[in-house]
Amino acid sequence: MEYLFAAYAVIWTVIFGYTLMLGKRQKELEQEVFLLRKSLEGKQ
Amino acid sequence: MFNKILGWLTFIITMTALYLVFMWVPNERIMGPVQKIFYFHVSSAWIGFFAFLVVFIAGLAYLFTRDNKWDTIGVSSAQIGVMFTTIVLITGPIWAKPSWNTWWTWDPRLTTTLVLWFLYLAYLMIRSSIHEEEKKARFSAIFGIIAFIDVPIVWFSIRWWRTIHPVVVDSSGFAMSPKMFTTLMVSLLAFTFLYFYLLTNTMKLEKMRAEVAGLKERLRNS
Amino acid sequence: MNYLNQIRTLVWKDLTSELRTKEMLSSMLIFAFLTTVVFSFAFDPDSETVKKVFPGIIWVAFIFAGILGLNRSFLSEKSNDCIMGLMLCTTDRGIIYLGKMISNLIFMYIMEAVTLPILFVLFDYRLKGSLLYLILIVALGTWGFIAIGTFLSALAVNTRNSEILLPIILFPLIVPLLIAAVQATGVILGGGVWADWSNWLRILTAFAVIFTVVPWLLFDYLLEV
Repeated sequence: MEYLFAAYAVIWTVIFGYTLMLGKRQKELEQEVFLLRKSLEGKQ
Repeated sequence: MFNKILGWLTFIITMTALYLVFMWVPNERIMGPVQKIFYFHVSSAWIGFFAFLVVFIAGLAYLFTRDNKWDTIGVSSAQIGVMFTTIVLITGPIWAKPSWNTWWTWDPRLTTTLVLWFLYLAYLMIRSSIHEEEKKARFSAIFGIIAFIDVPIVWFSIRWWRTIHPVVVDSSGFAMSPKMFTTLMVSLLAFTFLYFYLLTNTMKLEKMRAEVAGLKERLRNS
Repeated sequence: MNYLNQIRTLVWKDLTSELRTKEMLSSMLIFAFLTTVVFSFAFDPDSETVKKVFPGIIWVAFIFAGILGLNRSFLSEKSNDCIMGLMLCTTDRGIIYLGKMISNLIFMYIMEAVTLPILFVLFDYRLKGSLLYLILIVALGTWGFIAIGTFLSALAVNTRNSEILLPIILFPLIVPLLIAAVQATGVILGGGVWADWSNWLRILTAFAVIFTVVPWLLFDYLLEV
């Protein structure tokens, strides 16, 4: 039973971790877009 | 919109699969409840291999059409593939320990998955060590094709290798009852939906990343 | 110039430039010899178990030395943009691949011809099977290894950290080759019969042929400008 629990815990941890990573990358990208926009404004 | 529907469908099917696994399907007679790892373990393995097939097809399509869309599909599929093969590689030993009293067996399926995992990592390593977007796409497409061709050879060689060594455990396992089969199929469906849901989302991010990279390049040159 | 002639010219070019510098071959030879010596320190050469892992020792030494050579093989073309010149010389880029592969193969065979006797002497190993079969397996295994290795070395040399990247992308791909080569070598060293290693021979042949043809077809895409 413990093994069953461990296995399912691992499965969902990995999937959850992947989703979190996607979210983090999205945030980073948004940050970069923001910076890009700012530097574009600065140039104009 | 499409993405939202896909997300909800994934959620519903996954919940159904979990219900079937924990409440509906009977325990396997010899292995007991531990055998229930099987459903999601096998589904993950399937998706891991399927993702690799997608990388291969996307690689071929990219080389022929030079459409960046295919590269995005390839790299997204590879990332998700890493995730699912990681699940297989961790749940495999967790299942093997109580039922065969050993953490790892050099079983063809488990070992091929391990090699597959390394191939995925190699694919992502190639990408991370090239700057130019076009070259990155082209090289990883080429590697995806080569690696995919390699996988069946890996499988055969490990199978023949194992028949020489004494087989400690027989992993071909147990007879599946109809209920077990249904549960497996629903779990498989759930993970297939999960795969496509994650694929669309990862692709969106990858596309955005490529766009940002392109914008930065333009800004630097202007 | 026909196809074979072009390949021969390319191989000849590699061989002469290697003869002048002796850079690649000497480093491969020294490295293989050194690996052998390190192995004899790490595993006691007198014990029975070492006799069992002897085929593995042979192949690990070959492959490590091979990686060293492969890392160099396209580096020389990259400096001064030689690869550009090569691409202008021929219409078919597959020729560049085949030429490079053959010259790498020749270097590997030279290295192996020197290292193999040293291995036998240092580990005091007595060959029970046929020497001819052993040579066949070593030749075939090396061919497969160099075929895929040359291709990936051309891929890796265009990246930022090529010397680390090459082993990382090459090792998982040669898993079947390594298994088959080590097993076949083990059977032949122990004087086993043909039936015991014919399957391995089949895998080695399939590997070598597939990973010569596929890279040859894909090389056009690899060398785009």
